[in-house]
Amino acid sequence: MNDHEKIRELLSLSVADALTHAEEEQVMNHVRSCAECSSELDSWRLLAAGMRRLPTPQPRPLIVERARARAEIRFAEEVEHRWHRIVMIGVILFAWVLTLMSWPVVRLVSGGLLGMLDPRLNHAWLGFAVFTTIIWMTGGAAAVFLSLQQRRERRLA
Amino acid sequence: MGLDSEVAQLRRGDLDALSALLTRYQNRLYRYLLRLVRDPAEAEDLFQQTWVRVAEKIRQYDAKRNFEAWLFTVARNIAFDHLRRIRPESLDEPIAGAPGESAATRLPSSERPVLDGIVERERTSRLAQALELLPVMHREVLTLRFEEEMKLEEIAEVIDIPLSTVKTRLRRALDRMRQTLETNYPGEVWQ
Repeated sequence: MNDHEKIRELLSLSVADALTHAEEEQVMNHVRSCAECSSELDSWRLLAAGMRRLPTPQPRPLIVERARARAEIRFAEEVEHRWHRIVMIGVILFAWVLTLMSWPVVRLVSGGLLGMLDPRLNHAWLGFAVFTTIIWMTGGAAAVFLSLQQRRERRLA
Repeated sequence: MGLDSEVAQLRRGDLDALSALLTRYQNRLYRYLLRLVRDPAEAEDLFQQTWVRVAEKIRQYDAKRNFEAWLFTVARNIAFDHLRRIRPESLDEPIAGAPGESAATRLPSSERPVLDGIVERERTSRLAQALELLPVMHREVLTLRFEEEMKLEEIAEVIDIPLSTVKTRLRRALDRMRQTLETNYPGEVWQ
């Protein structure tokens, strides 16, 4: 491929401002001395100018308003969802703190002050562990159920 | 209010900023979607979906990125998912046949540029029709460069391809555009 052909390949990219500075300079130098490429470049310029002047279609105002309303609703849902997540994490942490704090109280009630210091397992400890596990599992199942239901409702909406 | 502050406010949860961004980009985004899918009804639907997705994902948007490129990427993903589902063949093949009434010329537009005369109006209309005959990949790169006036780097970010591929695609798209015009309107001044 000779220089003329190489430059010809670059003409369309020149009107798209897609050449490097060096390439652009190369094109301009060649075009000054080549009538064929100069005319070709003019054709490309005409095409590029036409492309830049194509009419801008506009969405109907009703569609814009609908998009705005739908986006705002979704945005509000996202904010609410985030807030729910924060509250849920807070509640879970609080529940764990309460659970752990209630253990010494159970030991105190079931075995007195000395019982509190006794590291061995006894019936009170086992009862407490079973009771706590059941409560946590019930709470977890309820949370999963509610979240699935909410997701289904959101999909239907 | 500037673009950066609107985006920052939206990320902080300000609904007015969402409205401002929608107003700022409504025409450009719609035009881009219309160029991709060619059908005004589909473009309108995708336009709404894009803003809903923006509302969902704005917290994940990296403020260091170019917002415009991010927004057009969101729109592009939605449009290509749609095309893949509804008209998978349109992702590979150009529409055959002679140019008919184009979606672009059917649309109401209060921003039509003032053209010099009938000849120029006719030429613009033919360009719009020829653009519609190109494959979606070519239409996309042409609209991003000439209508949206994006830099090549921004186009690369939106389409998620290397810069060199953007250049190649742009050159092929222009060649194809010229070829389409010459085939359909022989004797015009494009030659």
